Amino acid sequence: MPAGGIILNYSGLGVIDFCMGKEANHKILVLDDDADWLDMCRDFLAQLPAKPVIRTVTSGMQALSLLDTESYQVLLCDLVMPRMDGLQVLSIVRRRFPGLRTVVLTGHPDDVFRARAYEVGVDLFWLKSDLQQSPQLFLDCIESLLGREEDDGFRDVQSKNILDVIRMELALRNSSTLHIKSGRQVAQICIQDGQIIDVRAEGADGEEAFRRLLKWKGGTFESLPAEYGHVQTMNKSLEALILESAQTLKRGANQSTVKEDEDTKFITRMTAMACEGAEFVVIVPVKKEDTAKGFGSIQEVDRLAAWTRQAEKTAQRLGERYGAGSLTHLAGHNLERRLLLVPGKGRTFVIGWPLKADLGQLFEQSKKLAESWAS
Amino acid sequence: MGILNWFRKSRAVANKPPSGSFTVDRHGRVLTTTVGSGYPRRLLDDTAREVLSLFREARVAQAPLTGLDFYFTGLHIKAREMKNGAIIFLSPQTTPATSSPVRKDPS
Repeated sequence: MPAGGIILNYSGLGVIDFCMGKEANHKILVLDDDADWLDMCRDFLAQLPAKPVIRTVTSGMQALSLLDTESYQVLLCDLVMPRMDGLQVLSIVRRRFPGLRTVVLTGHPDDVFRARAYEVGVDLFWLKSDLQQSPQLFLDCIESLLGREEDDGFRDVQSKNILDVIRMELALRNSSTLHIKSGRQVAQICIQDGQIIDVRAEGADGEEAFRRLLKWKGGTFESLPAEYGHVQTMNKSLEALILESAQTLKRGANQSTVKEDEDTKFITRMTAMACEGAEFVVIVPVKKEDTAKGFGSIQEVDRLAAWTRQAEKTAQRLGERYGAGSLTHLAGHNLERRLLLVPGKGRTFVIGWPLKADLGQLFEQSKKLAESWAS
Repeated sequence: MGILNWFRKSRAVANKPPSGSFTVDRHGRVLTTTVGSGYPRRLLDDTAREVLSLFREARVAQAPLTGLDFYFTGLHIKAREMKNGAIIFLSPQTTPATSSPVRKDPS
């Protein structure tokens, strides 16, 4: 046990909690499938002046479960992991916990990984080899991220929503361009002499862009010199916009509850998948024009969906020719994994399992999983 | 007599799914078979072509497979890809099939 610390077991999840002292306010979650690396990381992060609580988990599902129940300031995440990789975790985290600072800590010096990580909105990308070479620099960066603690709101202006930020800019009666970023989304507000001239966000402009922008819970903003020559897309006064915004936010509150339910359902399903030991689930609608959805470690969803539809038609033809009755399921395998196709109402569930999974039990497990996803 | 024999064979096919195995080359032609002669050869040819096509398409879908198993209520069709074709096993299941009659082979 490191000096000055206590080690606690976090119930159920196999999570280790290391607290440097009672005064600790910040919390860091470290996700990596390498337990030895986690041990090293925990000892290393214990040197941070902020004395944060450090928790470690070995799978994406554990991390998401923990983030769902507790508040953290920083997530350190590996990229290459079995079942749910780091980018998948970070994508979910960016959507569900926009205020959480995210750091990628990986052993893969691949620019594609780096680009994809920044694309999903990580704050910092760090190679494990660099960590060993310049540990103090890394600690300084993490300390800095811990210092930027905020809940909902925009960085550098804690506890302020986007409307507050715009109000402040208008109050100055200046001309400027506000660049606002929230995860992968970018917006721009052009202000001239204290009046909003143009807004662009999520591919929309004018009032529609303004309405969309108001739904953002957090992010970063930058005030840049005014850019003249913009087409005027905003004609209403700020007061009118605020009044409309209030109505929009009220309507949005109901919608966000629905969104929250969807997210919860998604997490529950992913947890069920991981608990059963499946590698991925693809839902293939019977109708060709409906899009298939893949969850877990699966890349070629559309191609697999096309193959699934073909396999079902083949099965139907064979069943008719042989008078074999109805198809209960279809299984395929190669040297790495097994695929189980379980027909459902209006869609088929394609579930990927590791090859070592017990074939005798796979159908029942797949059926159970498909039912839980369908419900 | 010939016509009576034809009826006898057809009835046997319709009532019970086939049992046995057969090997096929890469073009889907049946090479050897232990499936009863009461079942039309064309049925086996069609099965082979369908199964080989699925193996091919699985490779295209970046999900190459070496084995395929169709589980029907009355029949289990097991196909294993081999170097120059495939081997296909047909095993009737104990649960009675709610079958639609097998198509008669016109040949």
